[in-house]
Amino acid sequence: MSTPRFQLWSSVGKKLLTGITGLALMGFIVTHLVGNLNLFVGSEAFNGYTEALHQLGGLLVVAELGLAGLFLLHAVSAILVWRDNSGARSVQNTVVASKGSPSKQTVFSQSMIVTGSVLLVFVVLHVAQFRFGIFGGLDYTTTLDGKEVRDLYRLVVETFKNPAWVVVYVGVMVLLGGHLRHGFWSAFQSVGLLDPMLRPLAYSAGAVFAVAIAVGFLVMPIYLFLFA
Amino acid sequence: MDVEIVDGSLSSGSPDGDIQTKWDRHRFEMKLVNPANKRKYTVIVVGTGLAGGAAAATLAELGYNVLNFCIQDTPRRAHSVAAQGGINAAKNYPNDGDSVWRLFYDTVKGGDFRAREDNVYRLAQCSVNIIDQCVAQGVPFAREYGGQLANRSFGGAQVSRTFYARGQTGQQLLLGAYGSLMRQVDAGRVKMFTRREMLDLVVVDGHAKGIICRNLATGKLERYAADAVCLATGGYSTAYFLSTNAVNSNATAAWRCHKRGAYFANPCFMQIHPTCIPLSGPSQSKLTLMSESLRNDGRIWVPKKQGDTRPPSQIPEDERDYFLERRYPSFGNLVPRDVASRAAKLACDEGYGVGATGLAVYLDFSEAIERLGRDNVKQKYGNLFDMYEEITAESPYETPMRIYPAPHYTMGGLWVDYNLQSTIPGLHVLGEANFSDHGANRLGASALMQGLADGYFVIPYTLGNYLADTKPGFDDTNDPAFDEAETNVRGTIDRLLAARGKKTPREFHWELGRLLWDQCGMSREQEGLRQTAEKIRELRDEFWQNVHVAGSGEELNQHLEYAGRVADYFELGELIAVDAYNRNESCGCHLRLDHQTEEGEAVRDDENYSHVAAWEYTGDLSKPRLHREKLEFNNVHLAVRNYK
Amino acid sequence: MTDAKKTRSYKLRIWRQPDAASTGRLVDYEVADVDPDSSFLEMLDHLNETLVKKGEEPVAFESDCREGICGACGVCIDGRPHGPVTHLTTCGLRMREFGDGVTITVEPFRANAFPVVKDLIVDRSSFDRVIERGGYVSVNAGSAPDANALPISTDMAEDAMDSAACIGCGACVASCPNASASLFVGAKIRQMKILPQGDVERTRRALAMVEQMDAEGFGDCSNHGECEAACPKAISIENIATLRREYLRAAFRS
Repeated sequence: MSTPRFQLWSSVGKKLLTGITGLALMGFIVTHLVGNLNLFVGSEAFNGYTEALHQLGGLLVVAELGLAGLFLLHAVSAILVWRDNSGARSVQNTVVASKGSPSKQTVFSQSMIVTGSVLLVFVVLHVAQFRFGIFGGLDYTTTLDGKEVRDLYRLVVETFKNPAWVVVYVGVMVLLGGHLRHGFWSAFQSVGLLDPMLRPLAYSAGAVFAVAIAVGFLVMPIYLFLFA
Repeated sequence: MDVEIVDGSLSSGSPDGDIQTKWDRHRFEMKLVNPANKRKYTVIVVGTGLAGGAAAATLAELGYNVLNFCIQDTPRRAHSVAAQGGINAAKNYPNDGDSVWRLFYDTVKGGDFRAREDNVYRLAQCSVNIIDQCVAQGVPFAREYGGQLANRSFGGAQVSRTFYARGQTGQQLLLGAYGSLMRQVDAGRVKMFTRREMLDLVVVDGHAKGIICRNLATGKLERYAADAVCLATGGYSTAYFLSTNAVNSNATAAWRCHKRGAYFANPCFMQIHPTCIPLSGPSQSKLTLMSESLRNDGRIWVPKKQGDTRPPSQIPEDERDYFLERRYPSFGNLVPRDVASRAAKLACDEGYGVGATGLAVYLDFSEAIERLGRDNVKQKYGNLFDMYEEITAESPYETPMRIYPAPHYTMGGLWVDYNLQSTIPGLHVLGEANFSDHGANRLGASALMQGLADGYFVIPYTLGNYLADTKPGFDDTNDPAFDEAETNVRGTIDRLLAARGKKTPREFHWELGRLLWDQCGMSREQEGLRQTAEKIRELRDEFWQNVHVAGSGEELNQHLEYAGRVADYFELGELIAVDAYNRNESCGCHLRLDHQTEEGEAVRDDENYSHVAAWEYTGDLSKPRLHREKLEFNNVHLAVRNYK
Repeated sequence: MTDAKKTRSYKLRIWRQPDAASTGRLVDYEVADVDPDSSFLEMLDHLNETLVKKGEEPVAFESDCREGICGACGVCIDGRPHGPVTHLTTCGLRMREFGDGVTITVEPFRANAFPVVKDLIVDRSSFDRVIERGGYVSVNAGSAPDANALPISTDMAEDAMDSAACIGCGACVASCPNASASLFVGAKIRQMKILPQGDVERTRRALAMVEQMDAEGFGDCSNHGECEAACPKAISIENIATLRREYLRAAFRS
């Protein structure tokens, strides 16, 4: 009889990992959304906000690396969960149906791997586009309080003049909403925070959260396309 | 049906003297196996219920190697799991006058003075330790607000000594034993063999040394050798076809031991439980029991008019006969199981029965709902009402329940001495499979107590006493006795498969069940019993000629498993009738119409029948030999049970 | 006596598989004269009787107590473990739930950790092996203190009983899109976590049972919550939350 050890890559370990990184990522998303609201204020506000972030210097790099790590861990653990699951039932019954309430099985819970994969590709694209300017715009500058700073506002505005980008971003944000619909309450459940009292609360809050985040993000490209 | 009678051949082997110190003295006098030697012994335990599971786990804890067998896919499903009500123990936590002596007294009296005093006293003593053991295992017994264990009064007992875990006491106790068992499997001390049916006992030089099993998953016959065998395979109510037992509960292992020389004691003592959901149609496979706690508040009645087909709501109060309250004014609806069952049958036999079949009486909660309020009734009985509605699609809140008695528990079983050893040395019998503690009628919440007492606290001592005199390490499955036993088993299987007749085992079982139920059920009568024994013999002959068993023996074949069990019911069924015929008295569950008062109350004959009837197989099923073990009552005085 | 009752007929599609090594398939049957008050398993009994009479092999399925407590029975009925009614075992399901003449598909509880033995019978011994690793309190017979020496509040006892009610049928695994055993394992972990008796072995229990659960080839949990809906004893996925907490706690204690 061997002495059992805690295994991060055990089934429960992976859930804890997915849950903890998921919660952290949701925290990041909220911060990101709040920061981006500066877009509605205008060029100075938005560039001021991004410049403030840049002023963090080394700290920003650490934060960025940390974020990248979170995304990676979340993605890897979730992909491993998915891989193990597809191997747990090689023969499927011909008829499969849900028992209904209180089951929380929905199209959202079933499509986490799909929405998650799209989001993973999107995050890489999004960072490349705006952080590293692979489609151009890295050299845009403007003057703020007499200092020359990067004009990220201009890059954002120019990007969303293109309806194709608007469609892509809006589409992905809808998927993000779907991911959060299951992901929000599920992350709390995965780290063991929910009891029968809190569960319905978290489940309902998840719907509100998912819609708020998705709508919050997707109105930006639409707003910029129409009014900027 | 004259039988050969032998007196004085059986002795319980319990020590003389004061009953209160008997078990202590016996434990001291028994031989011990040296701790270093225990691992040299292997013990076979058949069954994983409360008795078998507890025994296997405890023997392994002591250091013996245990081979544990069950017919289910996992030990956790043994039929002990289905017990609802609770477990008795003389803890006297409520301070209401209970004691080991009172539990002992109640059990002997409740058994209508047909149990062995020494065994019952030991049972009452062990009951106290059982609760401690189960709580330590994490059994979630109901609690009082102060955190102490809750007790209730059960089955008409005048003290509250029943411990319970919702309506799932049996399940929780079994899971406790199962946990202990699994711990020993993990430790390598117990080897678990699931999906194995014991089909014969192997006796080498007069001692039980092994078993022949059929691997139910593959159909292969397997041999297992050991230094001793413990049988804990439950009761045989399923011989009656419709009973509250699980559909796979059966008599086969015990019966095959009987045919190898273990005497079968009091086979006719079979308990009928009064509060079961009645039969609805011929496709029914079993009857469902509802806790008899229902009788605490429900009132039992039938219409005063025979064959009254009006719905119960349209039968006015003065046209209802609350027959238990009328006949037993002081105990009313709370009379013991046998009395309540008999009264219900009588009412139906006289044509007062209700429901589509006329085989049911009403159990009415309308008065309780009025008195206590619907919410209170729901709190007390909600889960039972739900269960009833699930099965019958009728709500007991709106219309009276219909109930009818059903075979439930067999007090009879293989004869054992004080050490739980059968008449075959080395074969020990535990739990419901033995006959020892309940006499002619078992009290509610006492079955779980007996199974666990035997498993946790009796056999670990008494088996050591046997093994201490036995050379350890018997493992020769090539002994000629194994060959002979396996050939015997194979012969039976081949015979069943070869018949290729016209009737299914189920049809035969149904017919046998009706015969037993009608004549060896709640009331019995001498001539009827004689004819029944004859009819069973005839039906048994037809069975072997005309049974049709599907498939082959070399595969998972549930139909074959079932056919083998039915074949044994036919042999046991005849013995039940013969035993009932030869007990010319009424006692407990055994009501002989020719031995009752004018008011229909049982009349015991202590002078001639204060004995255990232990039957020996002689090689001729119809000529069993009767060994009588005289019962002495030195501590509880023989008295007439009176519930008026 | 059932003359007055109108019986029903059904078309059945039942999974037949001779043994673990063979491949199985759905076979069509028709069954008539079914008493609507009979249980689903009694309907299968009835079918088997007619099959045997026709010289065909009866359908193998598991059952024992037939009152919803032993956990032996369990098949997927039209894709749902234990059938369409929630909080019920297959043996408790009545045929009046199915309209006259409908087609019913009957398949086994499916998971790699539950290999098919024959027809509708699967091997659930993986559950036993998970329990073996720690689903108990290690206490030898005879060593227990007085039962009342350890007061336990009614709330704790009730809470523990909610988890302890598990019958080990495996419907949670069968219903889970991932074939995860998290509810089964979580229920035992939670029962032992709530009760003070389980405290001593708490860390080891969580680690060992999860290790074994994974070794048996069950899938991971994705919080679909289908198991709670399929559980005949309505065991809450709160037990799975507890499993995660206990595992996390063990990370810091081991």
